[in-house]
Amino acid sequence: MPGVDALRVTTVGPWGLRGEVEDALAAGGVVEALFAAHGADGVAEVRCVVALPDGPLLVRCPLPAGVAPSVVDLVPALDWDEREAHDLHGVTFEGGVHRPLVDHPEDPAAWMTPVAGTDVHQVAVGPIHAGVIESGHFRFHAVGERILHVDARLFHKHRGLERAAEGRAAPDALPVVQRACAACAVANTVAFAEAVEQARGMWPDEPMRRARTLLLELERLYNHLNDLGQICAGVGLAPGAMAFAGFKERAQRVVHGLVGHRFLFGSVAVGASDLPLPAAAVAAARRDLADLRADATRAGRSLLLDAALRDRTRGTGVVSRDEARRLGMVGPAARASGLAGDVREGSPRLWYAGFRAASPEDPAGDVAARVEVRVVELRQTFDLLDDLLSGPLGPGGATVAGSPRAHGVGRVEGARGRTVCAVELDGDVARRVHLRTGSYANWPAVARAAAGATLPDFPLINKSFELCYACVDR
Amino acid sequence: MFLLLRHLARQRREIALPRGPRGSLHLRHVDAGSCNGCEHELQATAGPFHDMQRFGLFITASPRHADVLLITGPVTTRMRHALEVAYASMPEPRLVAALGDCALGCGLLGDPREHLNGVGDVLPVDIRIPGCPPDPETIARHLVAAMERPGHARPRGVPATGGDAAPG
Ligand code: SF4
Repeated sequence: MPGVDALRVTTVGPWGLRGEVEDALAAGGVVEALFAAHGADGVAEVRCVVALPDGPLLVRCPLPAGVAPSVVDLVPALDWDEREAHDLHGVTFEGGVHRPLVDHPEDPAAWMTPVAGTDVHQVAVGPIHAGVIESGHFRFHAVGERILHVDARLFHKHRGLERAAEGRAAPDALPVVQRACAACAVANTVAFAEAVEQARGMWPDEPMRRARTLLLELERLYNHLNDLGQICAGVGLAPGAMAFAGFKERAQRVVHGLVGHRFLFGSVAVGASDLPLPAAAVAAARRDLADLRADATRAGRSLLLDAALRDRTRGTGVVSRDEARRLGMVGPAARASGLAGDVREGSPRLWYAGFRAASPEDPAGDVAARVEVRVVELRQTFDLLDDLLSGPLGPGGATVAGSPRAHGVGRVEGARGRTVCAVELDGDVARRVHLRTGSYANWPAVARAAAGATLPDFPLINKSFELCYACVDR
Repeated sequence: MFLLLRHLARQRREIALPRGPRGSLHLRHVDAGSCNGCEHELQATAGPFHDMQRFGLFITASPRHADVLLITGPVTTRMRHALEVAYASMPEPRLVAALGDCALGCGLLGDPREHLNGVGDVLPVDIRIPGCPPDPETIARHLVAAMERPGHARPRGVPATGGDAAPG
């Protein structure tokens, strides 16, 4: 089906950007990312990735004066995108108050939301946390134990990976993208590779689509198992935490047996798929996954029926459906809030024909729903894995089916939701790489979910999203 | 549940890590800009399969209670200060472990303006745990071996014994 996801590119002046976004929204589209770049002439521009019902659209908006109109009032989900474009690329957005995101000014007032009132105090946590956790800072504004508001100050781990990837030939840029995040290595690199392939007019053959889908589901498997264990840890349910940590380890051993790396590093390439996947390893993986499925299903059911767990998770950290839509939430967390949407349902470059996302019985948007959504999604992942492993697997590739262009966009459903990668090529070289992961989309929702909760519930609420810092900070 | 425990017991036997000397090390982990892979593997080392606590290796919440500062990532500019504060708050004697290739300065993936080239650029590194990421057995092996390092502080004053630990 070459061409089904052909990217349209349109260029507007700064005065036309808001109109373009309004039109996209009116047509039922979703603005999935906004980022800054510099054109070949050195002029700054902002670019929007839009998913329209009839295909993807890239809006380019050159800014001769470096000033763009803010669109956050139209699409609140782009708040972080605009702040990042300002801090990293110097674009000024008119029509809003700028709070630094990637920049870390000394003065807390510069980046915090002012919260005032009787007895309001601040609790500062991080960037170093008590457990083995990624680095990031949270500033709680609380009255007693009640959280009024949380300011998350991430990007402590900013490594300039996008800039490091730029200027390299696409195959050499891929390992840089891969190291944005170990837990999402496949999702991020498949999104990158699909973007490059789309720009080059390449279309993947069946073995390549199957292999990438297999890798994506393997990644989802150990992530979902990990997340369920982390949620148990968040309520002190040690048997659940231990059981799921064990399941995750078993899943990673299956992954290692198949691909030779516990985080699937090196398994995705641009324009090709050369996983050896010997028959004996595949057979062993199927056996181990069947065992794991039986154990994980039983344990998952116990979690859903566990009264102590439900007591802590029902009604905790609620994000309503409307809020979820407003904040642009994605992935399992969005589905737990009753928001439909899973990139797997429309992934012609992968092997998801006929796939329909599972939804929890009661998508109440609380921690309990975020537990349940992972339990039901695991079932689908085990089904998909068995289906893929029982079918033909072998080396594959992509063939040139269209004319090469400068821009490409890849969209993949990672374990934490929609991951979008926009790539601009100059011949073989990546001129601009922008990665917007599910975690990036969902961090503002964590802060929203925590407002009104008590301080001790924050770790639990946080774990119920289990977002990465690494693939946000990049 | 018993089924799981049986499974676990079998897996643990398969891992067969050396017991090493008797003693303990308390570790404070600092993520100084990792991709989170090293964290996942460190968690797995402390998890039910590898259970590094049985070798006397513990994650501790505060650097003030730690023998070892266990650092991942190349040390980003935005983490450098927090890392130095954590090191300064440790009691003597103290050890620094660089966990993973990024921390060892061979990751080379990122814009050099945004990070240093590994832990060695800011702190004296005593324990080097290579890998991208090092797997849980490698992590445990190196830390167990660290309890045996001649010339280094032996936390808890445990005398050196001829353990069979060796860096993996
Ligand atoms: S060494 Fe590898 S796994 Fe560890 S933080 Fe660096 S890139 Fe990630």
